[in-house]
Amino acid sequence: MPRSTPDPSTRISRRAVLRGAGVAVALPWLESLPAFGDPTAPATFPKRFAVLFQGNGINENHWSAEGSGADMKLSKTLSPLEPLKHKINVIDGLFNKAATGHGIHPPQTGSLLSGAEIQKGAIIRSGVSVDQMIANTVGQDTALSSIVLACDQPMTGYHETNYSMAYSSHISWQTPDSPIPVEVYPSLAFDSLFENRGALRNISVLDRVKDRAETLSGKVSSDDKAKLDEYLTSVREVEKRIESMRKVKDKSDELAKQKNRPAFTMDRPQNGLPEDLRDHARLMCDIIAIAFQTDRTRVASLIISRDLSAMYYPFLEVSDGHHSASHNNLSDAYERISRFHVSQLAYLATKLDSMPEGDGTVLDNSCLMFLSELWIGRLHDNTRLPLVLAGGLGGTLETGRALNYYKAGDENRKMCSFYLSIMDRMGIKLDRFGDASTRLERL
Amino acid sequence: MDPSAPIPRRYFPHVLRFLPGFIALWALPSVEAATSPSIEQQFAQTVRPFVTQYCFACHSGATPTAQLDLKSYSNLDAVVRDYPRWAMVLEKLSAQEMPPKAMPQPSAADRQRVIDWIQAMRSIESHKNAGDPGPVLARRLSNAEYDYTIRDLTGVDIRPAREFPVDPANTSGFDNSGESLTMSPALLKKYLQAAREVGDHMVLTPDGIDFSPFPMLSETDRDKYPIQRIVNFYFSQPTDFADYFQAAWRYKYRAALGKPKATLATVAADSKVSPKYLPIVWQLIEEPAEKTKAEVGPIAKLQTMWRDLPPPGASQPDVVRAKCIEMRDFVVKIRKDTAMQFAAPVVEGLPAGSQPLLNWKLQQFASHRRDSDPNDLRNDTDPPPVVPEIPKYPGLHKEAAPRWAALTANGRAGDLDLVVPAAQRTLYEASFARFASIFPDTFYVTERGRYFPDDSEDKGRLLSAGFHSVMGFFRDDTPLRELILDEKGQKQLDRLWQEFDFIADFTARTFVQYFFNQSGEVLGKGAEAASPRPADHAVTDSQVILGLRDAYVALTSADPTNDPVAPQAIREHFDHVNETLRGLEKTRAEAEPKHLDALLKFAEHAYRRPLSQAEREDILAYYRTLREKTALSHEEAIRDSIVSILMSPDFCYRLDLDPRTALGKGAATSAKALAKPAGLRTTYAVTGHPLTGYELASRLSYFLWSSMPDQELLGHAAAGDLQRPDVLIAQARRMLKDPRVRGMATEFTGNWLDFRRFEQHNGVDRERFPNFTGDLREAMFQEPIRFVEDMLQNDRSVLDLLYGKYTFVNPVLAKHYGMPEVQGDPAAPAKNDTWVRVDDATRYQRGGLLPMAVFLTVNSPGLRTSPVKRGYWLVRRVLGQVIPPPPPVVPELPQDESKSDLPIRAMLAQHRANPMCAACHARFDVFGLAFEGYGPVGEARAQDLAGRPIDAKAVFPGGSEGDGLDGVLAYIRENRQNQFLDGLERKLLVYALSRSLLLSDEPLIERMQTRLAAKNNRFSSLVETIVTSPQFLNQRNPGPIEKPAPQTAALQRKVN
Repeated sequence: MPRSTPDPSTRISRRAVLRGAGVAVALPWLESLPAFGDPTAPATFPKRFAVLFQGNGINENHWSAEGSGADMKLSKTLSPLEPLKHKINVIDGLFNKAATGHGIHPPQTGSLLSGAEIQKGAIIRSGVSVDQMIANTVGQDTALSSIVLACDQPMTGYHETNYSMAYSSHISWQTPDSPIPVEVYPSLAFDSLFENRGALRNISVLDRVKDRAETLSGKVSSDDKAKLDEYLTSVREVEKRIESMRKVKDKSDELAKQKNRPAFTMDRPQNGLPEDLRDHARLMCDIIAIAFQTDRTRVASLIISRDLSAMYYPFLEVSDGHHSASHNNLSDAYERISRFHVSQLAYLATKLDSMPEGDGTVLDNSCLMFLSELWIGRLHDNTRLPLVLAGGLGGTLETGRALNYYKAGDENRKMCSFYLSIMDRMGIKLDRFGDASTRLERL
Repeated sequence: MDPSAPIPRRYFPHVLRFLPGFIALWALPSVEAATSPSIEQQFAQTVRPFVTQYCFACHSGATPTAQLDLKSYSNLDAVVRDYPRWAMVLEKLSAQEMPPKAMPQPSAADRQRVIDWIQAMRSIESHKNAGDPGPVLARRLSNAEYDYTIRDLTGVDIRPAREFPVDPANTSGFDNSGESLTMSPALLKKYLQAAREVGDHMVLTPDGIDFSPFPMLSETDRDKYPIQRIVNFYFSQPTDFADYFQAAWRYKYRAALGKPKATLATVAADSKVSPKYLPIVWQLIEEPAEKTKAEVGPIAKLQTMWRDLPPPGASQPDVVRAKCIEMRDFVVKIRKDTAMQFAAPVVEGLPAGSQPLLNWKLQQFASHRRDSDPNDLRNDTDPPPVVPEIPKYPGLHKEAAPRWAALTANGRAGDLDLVVPAAQRTLYEASFARFASIFPDTFYVTERGRYFPDDSEDKGRLLSAGFHSVMGFFRDDTPLRELILDEKGQKQLDRLWQEFDFIADFTARTFVQYFFNQSGEVLGKGAEAASPRPADHAVTDSQVILGLRDAYVALTSADPTNDPVAPQAIREHFDHVNETLRGLEKTRAEAEPKHLDALLKFAEHAYRRPLSQAEREDILAYYRTLREKTALSHEEAIRDSIVSILMSPDFCYRLDLDPRTALGKGAATSAKALAKPAGLRTTYAVTGHPLTGYELASRLSYFLWSSMPDQELLGHAAAGDLQRPDVLIAQARRMLKDPRVRGMATEFTGNWLDFRRFEQHNGVDRERFPNFTGDLREAMFQEPIRFVEDMLQNDRSVLDLLYGKYTFVNPVLAKHYGMPEVQGDPAAPAKNDTWVRVDDATRYQRGGLLPMAVFLTVNSPGLRTSPVKRGYWLVRRVLGQVIPPPPPVVPELPQDESKSDLPIRAMLAQHRANPMCAACHARFDVFGLAFEGYGPVGEARAQDLAGRPIDAKAVFPGGSEGDGLDGVLAYIRENRQNQFLDGLERKLLVYALSRSLLLSDEPLIERMQTRLAAKNNRFSSLVETIVTSPQFLNQRNPGPIEKPAPQTAALQRKVN
């Protein structure tokens, strides 16, 4: 990877921090062992889910897939996925009805992952997004419930549709009232993953509370002491669980070493924004990869470019900014932009596929979802969406297929139906999500 | 010495001698010492053989009847400790209900001897230790208390305890005692989440720490909070001209209106208008006659309208109001038609929406709101104006001013008030100018879209600058500051704007977004930048900002055809951004120590007492550790400090410290607070000591508010006079009138009468009872709370709970009860939070607690009524009678009333034919039968669900007959009223003391009874008797002097 080596002094100190802090554990506490670290663990591995987002649509003349398995024919934009084509699904023709008919851009992106009706004006309101629905459940078992990343700076002003630009700059929503702030700095994303700041902070609070309760215990009557002891016992109990978690982590690291299967490793990225988008996107993909491999989290979202992106692609020899270029989306230039985005999916998928897990790979236990909020940028057409999946989600998702729903009728081509189907496979059974109450057929 | 080590017992007397508050308050009277052994002997000689012979057959063994094992009481101590059950034995023996008729009966004399013994034992034992504070365990806040306390601590009602598991209740049904409130690791995790949740609401301001009504998780949240505060401030200002004209009219006719001494200031205050602006308006419309004569134009016209206002009396007030509105509309029209207009300076190569240029335009608008545009006037010699065509909305980045000019030209075309005599043009212009200086075209701007000031599109962009895509805010409220706000208001508004930037960091964020999106105007190609992407905070460095400024200035200066004002506009813009950011940096640095002060105050508030010096240092040290060792930012460190304060047992527990060890360095003040309160009796066997002022303040506030003490209460604690009975009673009275008393109305009443969980009640089949909506359920839940709240606040008779002929309803409940619709204000129509008192509730078969829908519903099993449950509820909860639990096997009644052959009355009669059942059911079924006139959701009814006519007649215990609610109430009034009062007194005392009652509380119960009767049954007499009782004011001496109560011992075993 073309990236300068960090200053050695920084690196040493960073490692020191990692040794001390990387073993800490977040709330809520993990009750079970991480499966990959324990030889006696059952042969089921955690399922992971990631979203990769490109803003402003694709070049529809170069976006298609036909056939299946090894015979699948991929168009030019999808060609970076060629080596992985037996592990992907190209899905055409799905759309999100709630995102149509309210004007262009922010209302097309604001409910992309939720199917919610969004609100104009100063008060922001959307819906909980599918990645966060998943994170709310599967995230209980990992250090972080999800990581929410972007290579593109967010905007919060107003678009001329009178929708907030916040809708264009975020795809992950934890509550309907506020989007999850995106992390654009790879270094900080890395820290949040491995320093476990949230957990460390809670541990620090608990330590302090324990001290205080112990001090107080000596200042109250014997009866009250019994009540305080109850409190202290609870605090100690929680600490004990953290301690056992620490041992689990050490043990799994040790096991990995014994099996001579060194985990994919990564140095802490340098502070600041990488100047080159290629470096930036790869670092973010690396972070997702290492997060999935080490089971720090099982849910990730990454905005490579946001809706209405102002990013430039000098390395693709495109002179217009992203959004301007999308208005001429049949251009070769825009095709190169889209292909660059798809190649990030290919990069991440390949990386995960190189990580053995059981009889398969981490990719086999994951679902990477690549999509954009538009099909045709020059028309702002979102009546169908570009969608590619990589990974078999632990054998629950057949791969190597090109599925087309475009002519299946609006009721049978809902993005939210697709989300329901994915959530089913992640163990989250909902009766409804967004505008859908049925699963996507044939998936 | 290790402060946590227990003090050796031999030191104890020594300590006692030196602490003035810690004296043995209660000496043991010698007479009781002599009597007790004889009672003890009697137990062995008389009572034990009696129960062995007549009671053990049923009441002993592995499964004693009614779970009463009389064999377990082997000595006097055991009886005393479990007195309530022996009170029941007494009751049964006296009523000759036990032993049952079928069993061998004792002689009357034997029976009487045991009755006498129980009574004697009760009397001796209760007086021996009368006033014993009892074992009040340290306890965590109950869930309800936690929520209320967070509300009063932060000022926002976050309710973080909604995720907590339901609190267990003690044997009296209350969830506020250490006997039942326990802690577990699972709950501790919830506490941590709750504390984090509260921490998420924290907002740092330049002066301290605030809490937002919603979590501040994202940048959009950080915008929303300060914006709402500013907009609310604007909307709360008096800016309607009509109100000023009307106020001026009131002043003019002050004598006729009966206020001859009124001044402009008093009228302004009465009329709720600005006392600063009213004289300005007054001076203009009510000039001396000679000046008035010379007036022309809009001033002359307005003065004529003013003089035409009719005097009071002759006409209705709404005529004056209507004319004042006409005057206002005239002013608004003139100002709309003569408002100044501006366009962004034209610069080749830059769009009109370019931030520096657009901001210049906004600035011009903001600074000319009190000017009149002379070009909008027409001479009477001019030809009629040509009405311009209105152009379409301009495209993105294009200037909207031409369209606005055309719109306004159309608007003013027919306005004859703008036509002036050509010869007097100057005079007229001056009138318009003066008019405008007093009447601004607007006082403030709350929204701005793309086509500002045309607001036909882009609604709801609060305080927005109107930039395209990039965020940005703009302040335009000079007229409000200058004309309406006094100095305090101005400071408040300035502060709100300063806090806006402090909280939302909007200038910096706007600049960053601008840099990444529009700096391309000068740095790169097109509208979007191709410049390298600066890292971290480098974007907002002075160097970058001023570099961009210079690039813009260079671009603008290059072309001589550009508007010459543009370079200045650009310099002002970037310099303003730079100065604002540098100023904010300074403000932030200066704010940090203030935040630490605020943190200490927060801790003090949260702990409900002052902090010791060591505690203050400890909190600050923790903050520093977080900054230095954990490398948290200032805000994160403050947030975590708050979380740690909320997790500290000092906050989430209520504990009264052991004075032996608690009196450390602060002993001087504590000793003062420990001084022996006046009026305490000194005849108690148990030693104890007074609570400190702060402990007493908490005890009082958690009793009356279920929440923390307020500043006034803490002030008395600090002054050391809270233990004075007059102060204490005055505080209790004040607190009963405070809205927070709803805490007691909810928690005490809800648990006493067993409806606290009704908000989650799912026992109603909503298909069969479709009117039972979530709103109705909530209204049912609220009714008794509103009733009791009213009783507390207005100090009504507690008998109103039974006999009150009134109740409180909201619209949905009124409908359910068939009462007339609840009327709201014309301005605010009645909603479900509008509650009104209904005085003639008896017309609708309501009034008082008993016929409230909540009790009738919660005691119905869905598709039928349950006279059993309703009667049991009334006898047990309202009348306080102890009923033993039913045997394990009980017959089932049909579930659906409409599908059974017999009326429920007849089925129950069969049930009572079984003597096993009758022993208890005879005592309560009848009360439920009297409520048959109310259906399963408490609706009044004449037929049951199968269409059979309702029979609500009942024969009450003792043989008297009655019909329906009136019959029940007449029976209670005649036979059971004292039982009701006694039950209420006991429950209230349990609730107040957070512990079960002891035999030694009996004299206090008697005192409550006497005082209540003497004070016309007013609720306050109960509260005042309780809060001045030794039980309430004191704490048992801790440690080895007292044997732990059995349940505590058990608990210790469990924990150890």
